[in-house]
Formats: sequence, C-alpha cells, structure tokens
Amino acid sequence: MYLIEMSDYTLAPTGSGFGIKGFYFALSAGDVCAIEAQNPDDAHHFLRALATLAYPSTGTFRFKGRRLNLKNYKELLSCKKKVGYIAPDAALISNLTVRQNILIHRYYFENDLTIDLDDKMNSMCDNFGVCQKLDRRPADLNSMEQQMAIVIREISKGPEVLLLDRPEDFIGHAKFDMLVQMFNDWIDQRKPVVFVSFDRRLIRRFATRKILITNGTLTTVDVKRPMGDD
Amino acid sequence: MERVTGYIGRKAINSINHILDLFAFAYRILVLAVLRPKSGRTLIGRVIIQQLYFTAVQALPVILPIALLVGSAIIIQFAKLSGQYDFGRVSVLLIVREVGPIVTAMIVILRSATAVTIEVSYMRVLHELDAMEMSGLDPVRIVCVPRLVGITSALLGLFIVFDLVSIFGGYAIVWLLTYIPMASFLFQIAKAITLADIAVGIIKALLFGVTITVTCLYRGFEMKRQITEVPVATSRSSIECFLYCLIINAFISIIFYL
Repeated sequence: MYLIEMSDYTLAPTGSGFGIKGFYFALSAGDVCAIEAQNPDDAHHFLRALATLAYPSTGTFRFKGRRLNLKNYKELLSCKKKVGYIAPDAALISNLTVRQNILIHRYYFENDLTIDLDDKMNSMCDNFGVCQKLDRRPADLNSMEQQMAIVIREISKGPEVLLLDRPEDFIGHAKFDMLVQMFNDWIDQRKPVVFVSFDRRLIRRFATRKILITNGTLTTVDVKRPMGDD
Repeated sequence: MERVTGYIGRKAINSINHILDLFAFAYRILVLAVLRPKSGRTLIGRVIIQQLYFTAVQALPVILPIALLVGSAIIIQFAKLSGQYDFGRVSVLLIVREVGPIVTAMIVILRSATAVTIEVSYMRVLHELDAMEMSGLDPVRIVCVPRLVGITSALLGLFIVFDLVSIFGGYAIVWLLTYIPMASFLFQIAKAITLADIAVGIIKALLFGVTITVTCLYRGFEMKRQITEVPVATSRSSIECFLYCLIINAFISIIFYL
C-alpha cells in the first residue's frame, strides 16, 4: 500500500509556474524523491499539494489507501499531522513562544499544558542553537533560528512523511553535516522523503527517485545509485 | 438603466451571500463551542482566559471614565429637563436599554474587534494558520472558539460594569458637583428597572458579542495572501460590526418595547 497516492491530479498554475496536468504519483515507505522542476514555483506547488496545503482542480488523493475529501479541511487534518513540512512558507505561530510552538500539537492532543521538551528534543534544540531562546517569541529570533525551530517542531511531530524545500538553505550550509545525519536517520527509519534541492550532493547521495516537472507534466525516474555509495 | 439595475442587483446578491456566509461561519463556530471535543480543551481554556483579559480587564481603564462621563451627562440633562421628577427612571431606561449596550459594543469594536481582524489576517498571510493545520489542529477551534467565548463574555461583563458605573457613578458626580436635587433618584432607579430591562441588556450584549466576533474572524479568515489587504479588512470589519450592532439594537428594542 502506498503512503500517498495522487491520481489524475491537476494543479493550476501559481506564480510563474505552468501548473501540472493530470499526473499520477505514488509514494511508498523508504522512497527518497528529489524534485527537479523547470520552474521552482511548480516544485513548491507540488510539495504543497503533497502536504494537502494546495488543492487540485481535479484528482484524487489517497493517504494510506484512504481517499481524502479535499473539500473537507477537517478530514485533511489527520493526514497533515503525519506530514513534516519544512519549507520557506512554513511558519511559527507568532503569539506563542518557541517552546509552545514546538509542543503545541502535544498540548492539544494530550490535553495538558504542563508537558515539557523531552531529552531528545532538548538535545536537538541544543544542536540547532535555539536552546537559549525557547521561551522567547519568534519575533525575537533571527530568520535562521526561526527556521531551526520549524525543523525541530516538524521532527517532534514524529511525521510519517517528510517534505523539504531547499533544506540546505533552511538548515544552513554550516550545519550541512547535521542535515546529512538527519537524512540518514529518516532513511534508516524507512520514512519517505520528498525534497527540492539545489545541492547536487544531497540528490546524488540520497535520492532513489527523481520527480521531473517540465512544461506542466510530471514524470518519475528511478535513480540507479553507484555501488558502494551510501 | 440596465447597468444601474444590474449593479444594484449584483450588490444586493453579494450582500445577501455575505450575510449567509456569516451565519454559516457563526453556526460552525457555535457547533464547535458546544460539542467541546476532549482534545485541546486545556489549550482552548487558556486562550479564552487570555482573550477575557485582553477584552475585559484591559478595557476597564477605558470604559470606567467613559461610563462616568456618559452617566453624569445623561443624568444632568434629564434632571434639568424633567426638574427632578421621574428623571431617575428615564436615565435608567436610556442607559440600560440603549446607551449601555451600544457604547460597550463600540469600545469592544474599537479595542478588540480590530485587533482580532488584524491578528487573524496576519496569521493567514504569514501562513500561521497553515502551520496549525500541519500540526493537526483545527484553526476554527483553536482561534475562533476562544475568541467567540472570550469576547462575548467580556462584552456582557463590560456592559454590566458600564451600567453600574454610569448610573451610580453618574449619580455620585452629579450629587458632588451640582445643586440638582437628587433625593429620590436611587428609589426611582429601583422602581424603574424591570426584569425585562435586564433580560434585554443581556440579550443585546450576547448578540453583539457573537456578531462582532464572527464578523472580525470572517474578515480575517477571508484574507488572501496580500499583506496590503489587512488594513482594508480591518476597516471593513469595524464598520460592519458597528452597523450590525445598531441594526440588532434597533430590532431588539422594537421587539421588546413596541
């Protein structure tokens, strides 16, 4: 069974993109897909569609085999919760502290406001350099720290799928090793990852499939990785 | 001529659609407020308390002097006009039935309603509502329900404070600063207020609260992706809120007192 299956899906053009017409895409556990698009807006739009943040003009979306009614936003929430979305349009909620932003889904679903970060999250905050600013509002953080906090929040959700838009920019080139480590962890856990990147090293090293978006069409190509390359 | 009638027709249809949208949105929020699913209750409870603090407690320094000024002005005018006789009754009727709810609603619109529209608009433009959805949280439940409960309760509380301060504070100011005879004022107030007056005041406050909150939230959620739309939405929502409150006020007064 596919984790995500999109069939007869048509995305209308946004920004300077061409849109994507009537495509089929399926994502299974262990897939690592790199998106290569003629137009960056199309790549970003496709990622948003995978996160069910952008709706199609036509098409069906199945999550774990269950067809979702894209007109009912409430039905999509259970799917969105399982998707880690790390992209330039991901945001922190400005009237909550960074700690509250990271923990908000737990506050809500465990119905408890006394929950605090566990050791794993604390060490991640430490590694990403936001430990000292956990009790500040997002406006007090610089843009890189805000992006780090978004990455921590999305990972703390324990997502089943990860969608990343230019992660090297998001996490910062200085922390590239950390990004590689994160990719390795996700691959070990057989979590599917879809990413857009201008960093050829990431694509060469991790991508098992390429998603090519050109002139409004989407095709997928399996990547043959050289022996011994891991 | 056809173009004019077409224009009027389109405007009328759009207005009716907008009113129906507001009713549908209010219904959706009220259903969520009544159903109260178990998850998120604590978080929502905290947001309600914060909203009450912003709308009610922080508004007290604004509403108290306004209530005193309005109360004393009305009492002085009616005392002069009626020569003491029956002026307590007339002042109470005017303050409790008409001036109290409208002035309280105006203060809430100016202070909180505009703030709510701006806050929600920014949340929409800056993808914060998307972020909530990506965490599996329903923005209508997390953002709208606490604001509806908080603002409506705050408006009811402020309305009671306004009435008490304007009647008794106004009485005290007039008694201290003028030579107008006030001997039977308090007795007349007690005689003048009926259960219907209190009920009407509460109904108006509740309806104003729901109307103001739903209108502001709707305008905020309606926002597309342009930050330049925020001031337009804020201006529209405050004018709309005030207009709807006036209409509701007149409608209830007609039902109860005619």
